[in-house]
Amino acid sequence: MSAVATLGQACWAAAAVKSKPTTAISQTHIRNPKPKSLSLPLSANSSCNHFFSFPPKTTLKSSSSSSSSSVRTSVAAVDSDQLSSSDSADKEKPSRYYFVVANAKFMLDDEEHFQEQLCERLRYYGEKNKEQDFWLVIEPKFLDKFPNITKRLGRPAVALVSTNGPWITFMKLRLDRVLAESFEAASLEEALASNPTKIEFEKPQKWVAPYSKYESGWWEPFLPPGSKEEVKA
Amino acid sequence: METLFNTEINKKLNEAEFEALLQEFKTDYNQTHFVRNKEFKEAADKLQGPLRQIFVEFLERSCTAEFSGFLLYKELGRRLKIMKMNLLQKTNPVVAEIFSLMSRDEARHAGFLNKGLSDFNLALDLGFLTKARKYTFFKPKFIFYATYLSEKIGYWRYITIYRHLKENPEYQCYPIFNYFENWCQDENRHGDFFSALMKAQPQFLNDWKAKLWSRFFCLSVYVTMYLNDCQRTAFYEGIGLNTKEFDMHVIIETNRTTARIFPAVLDVENPEFKRKLDRMVEINQKLIAVGESDDIPVVKNLKRIPIVAALASELLAAYLMPPIESGSVDFADFETQLVY
Repeated sequence: MSAVATLGQACWAAAAVKSKPTTAISQTHIRNPKPKSLSLPLSANSSCNHFFSFPPKTTLKSSSSSSSSSVRTSVAAVDSDQLSSSDSADKEKPSRYYFVVANAKFMLDDEEHFQEQLCERLRYYGEKNKEQDFWLVIEPKFLDKFPNITKRLGRPAVALVSTNGPWITFMKLRLDRVLAESFEAASLEEALASNPTKIEFEKPQKWVAPYSKYESGWWEPFLPPGSKEEVKA
Repeated sequence: METLFNTEINKKLNEAEFEALLQEFKTDYNQTHFVRNKEFKEAADKLQGPLRQIFVEFLERSCTAEFSGFLLYKELGRRLKIMKMNLLQKTNPVVAEIFSLMSRDEARHAGFLNKGLSDFNLALDLGFLTKARKYTFFKPKFIFYATYLSEKIGYWRYITIYRHLKENPEYQCYPIFNYFENWCQDENRHGDFFSALMKAQPQFLNDWKAKLWSRFFCLSVYVTMYLNDCQRTAFYEGIGLNTKEFDMHVIIETNRTTARIFPAVLDVENPEFKRKLDRMVEINQKLIAVGESDDIPVVKNLKRIPIVAALASELLAAYLMPPIESGSVDFADFETQLVY
């Protein structure tokens, strides 16, 4: 594998780091494991002074294009006047949602430490009185927008969705065997809409750990508000 | 090291991943986690007999390990910052800052363990460790592979002990284990940082040499842990664990995690791998017995030769077992095996 491949890896969340108005940012994805060439606008990411003040409500517009050797999702422009109002918690304004997705078995059953991370983050948000900005969505409706993901995805699928792009980049690095993307939605409700699905896993045949598995249903506190009742009903 | 983090030479440093890691480290989930209570001293006073000695040794070893991590990360962070200040090199400030934040975590862990030692009326002289430490600078790739593995294996050891004790509280003889769940998340994140560093250096991941090194480091780390722990079964049994089962679980999980970045890993789930480890334990015991015998040094050395040869041959056989091709999805040319 050539060094070129590295250039394209997981720079998809680069858009999240900018708060300068009117900046063009490419989001590059490797869908084909051996892209012939990829260009990365590193300069666009190089000055990240505003990184931590990134407002989660930043509005980005994106369009997709694809080529035969590699599929790229690309070019997002940040609109300056939309940015100026981005600090307000106005839920009517469209927001960008970032996600990683994989089949439910991997996300909720195999990946034991995933649970610990979500609990840790929720605990931290509680300590800091921070509003929750990440959710687990079972069979999310937004997947319909991503045929390139769904054709590779085992079902039922589970997505980890957040308005915090860099955190999703981190989760992609951690989980690795997941697909990452982002989309825009007019409201939280729209972004987290899901198709009702029953999730059940068989007990592992061979369990040699000196402790028992996390209880099925551990994910319920992380489901979007509203869907918890559905699960119970 | 200089060229690795030089933003002009190495343009491949994935900014988004490093920025994301920096945000994660700055979040500092465990800022208020390491607070002691009076249960520590009470529990320490109750620990008597051989288990007390074993506990002290465990605390010393853990404290030294965490403190070594602190020194290493602190030094690397410092060096990168100096290069930056000299303006001769455009090193990546994000990488330097992450090293500093990781040294913060390690210092916190070492300090917490050292306070634990004070419950036993002991303290490690960490200042002495700092001065006595010999800085042997390995080639970066050796640091990357080895440190990645030691962080991830550290995570699996701590979480396994934590979850086991949570279910079996009767073995919870000292409250430090209650802190392990949050504590080991730090170790796991440190491992992720090395993952990102290696991804930024594809030469560490993409050729036959990288595969040989990956297998070599996996084997060294797993064997070292297995042999060490098998000499200290009293500790693991003292907290209600079967040492070999505990170690195999940790090895298998660490190997699965490692397979998401290393281009090749060992087939540790093959029962033959464990048989080899067990034979190494037996050979190692013979080696220790020779050392403890009353023979004169020359005789000891002569007796050691065949034993060392036997150990080496087991190691080589384990190394040459058919490996498992692996690696990050971002580099993957083995799509069919992947889970999405």
